[in-house]
Amino acid sequence: MLTTVAQAVVNGLLIGGIYALVSIGVTLIFGVVKIVNFAQGEFVMIGMYISYFLASSFGIDPLVSLIVVMPALFVIGVLLQHLLIRRVLALGDMPQIFLTFALSLLVVNVALLLFTANYRTVQAPYSETAIHLGAINLPVAKLIAFVVAMTLSAVLWVFLHATDLGKAMRAAAQNRDVAMLMGINPDRVFSVAVGVALALAGAAGALLMPFYPAYPLVGQVFVLMAFVAVVLGTLGNVTGALIASLMMGVAESLGIQFVGADSGLIVVFVMLLLTLALRPSGLFGGRSR
Amino acid sequence: MRRFTSRNTVWICLLFGAVLAVPLFVSNSFAIDICIRILLFAFIGVAWNLMGGYAKQLSLGHAAYFGLGAYTSTILLIRYGVSPWIGMLVGGIVAMLASLPIGALCFRLRGPYFAIATIATAQVLMLLFLKFRDFAWGAEGTTIPNLGDAPLMMQFEGKAPYYYIVLALLVIGLVVTYCIERSWIGYYLVAVGEDEDAAEAIGVDAQGIKRNIYLISAFLTALAGTFYVQYIYFIDPNTAFSFNVSVEAALVSIVGGIGTLWGPVVGTVFLEATSALLQSWLGGGHGGVQLTVYSLILIAVILIRPTGLIGIMTEFYARLVRSGAATAKEVPLDP
Repeated sequence: MLTTVAQAVVNGLLIGGIYALVSIGVTLIFGVVKIVNFAQGEFVMIGMYISYFLASSFGIDPLVSLIVVMPALFVIGVLLQHLLIRRVLALGDMPQIFLTFALSLLVVNVALLLFTANYRTVQAPYSETAIHLGAINLPVAKLIAFVVAMTLSAVLWVFLHATDLGKAMRAAAQNRDVAMLMGINPDRVFSVAVGVALALAGAAGALLMPFYPAYPLVGQVFVLMAFVAVVLGTLGNVTGALIASLMMGVAESLGIQFVGADSGLIVVFVMLLLTLALRPSGLFGGRSR
Repeated sequence: MRRFTSRNTVWICLLFGAVLAVPLFVSNSFAIDICIRILLFAFIGVAWNLMGGYAKQLSLGHAAYFGLGAYTSTILLIRYGVSPWIGMLVGGIVAMLASLPIGALCFRLRGPYFAIATIATAQVLMLLFLKFRDFAWGAEGTTIPNLGDAPLMMQFEGKAPYYYIVLALLVIGLVVTYCIERSWIGYYLVAVGEDEDAAEAIGVDAQGIKRNIYLISAFLTALAGTFYVQYIYFIDPNTAFSFNVSVEAALVSIVGGIGTLWGPVVGTVFLEATSALLQSWLGGGHGGVQLTVYSLILIAVILIRPTGLIGIMTEFYARLVRSGAATAKEVPLDP
């Protein structure tokens, strides 16, 4: 029994690392640009397909493909900010919500047209291996994904706290108008924020590739998790999103273990609705929205 | 101004007469099927628009009520032999009851997080109905027993009766919207939609008005759910709680003109016509084409004219009237 619980918790933590990359991106964009990116999951999907084609065409390991995927997604993010998001910043809720929502629909359906709905998988040398710690299994692919995800989150934390650009982003997140008065260029800060968020989503995609199939709708799983984690972890709070994502991974995994294989999502949604009912401002903040 | 309104009434009567006559002239079952789809989604759009358009509560979970309406009438029909006509109304009431706790939860959030919470509620309902194997047939769903020509059981031989039922629903939806738009409730809704805090500051009970409009919107959406399963003779959780229903309800309203009486109708006609043309042009088997085009249209509308097609038409009409007035002024100067 104890082993089962421990194994479920470990599984949950490992996948929670991936959720964290996605939700940190969502919360970063929300914190800095004040937009909810409904298309964040679709950039995970794009990351997965880039990684898949690099692996299937050139035999590049998904982990190595990170060095292509992350810059590519960063550039897409900067373009996204410049071409689309920038135009709706001054408008109301409706354009802001439905712009990224439409983008999500567009990317999913273009992917459906280009790649069909078939599942695509990559077999890495470490895809099937596992480390045994006592009675607990640690699948190597998931372990690597978790470690890389945590490293990237730590790098982001250092970037936000130790560099001028990172500090400018946090300043813009706290108070955009005052930050602009202090001479912070909002266009540049916003572009970097969206770029970094998409690079993280792409990284999540590449890290998933050795143990998770790529298909056009794959992003929806991750974006729903990310939304719940972002609400749970208080909107705009990067550390909160990280902790909440790990919690959600564990909750989902325990749900699958003890309620039923198709109940993981129910547990997650119930968590979301309970959070909204009891602590609408999230676990880590007093400010409600 | 008075002459203008009466001219409008004449146009609406002509249009309505033409719409009434469609089944008399269109015998092609594919064409009438498209017309039924247009009317159905226009009706769902009208129901969504009450919430999303006037009060600006951008729900992406109206499939919850569509599904509840569909399941209530189907369960009543198959388990208890109750006519779907009664089931439709019961479904509407069930949806209204469900909207109370859902609203209580979701209205705590604003803007994008309201939208996310509504997605979650619809998904939870779908997952629950997937689990109700004994009670509601689980994931396999069920077919609705075909009783042949049984008007009392909302089953008909041809497609024309379905056409008139959904047309009647749309008319009800439009009349409800018209009455609300013209009453104090309409003004309150728009005030809440523009700025909730400011509306509350001048004494509008924002929570109350949002709850009430959600009740009406849920009721109407549930009617559409019952109609749809009776029309396709099949129900399963993925059809009844389809995310596409939630998406299309919002999409047609935004493309047509959010917060306007005719917006959802104009939007549905435009989108469905585009989709039908694309289908006949490309043929079937191109999964994704329809939604690709829809999303491109949506992005274009948001970036170019957030007031939607109605906004473009109003502007065009105003320009036409203005240029007409200018030429009229010039005429007497010509010797």
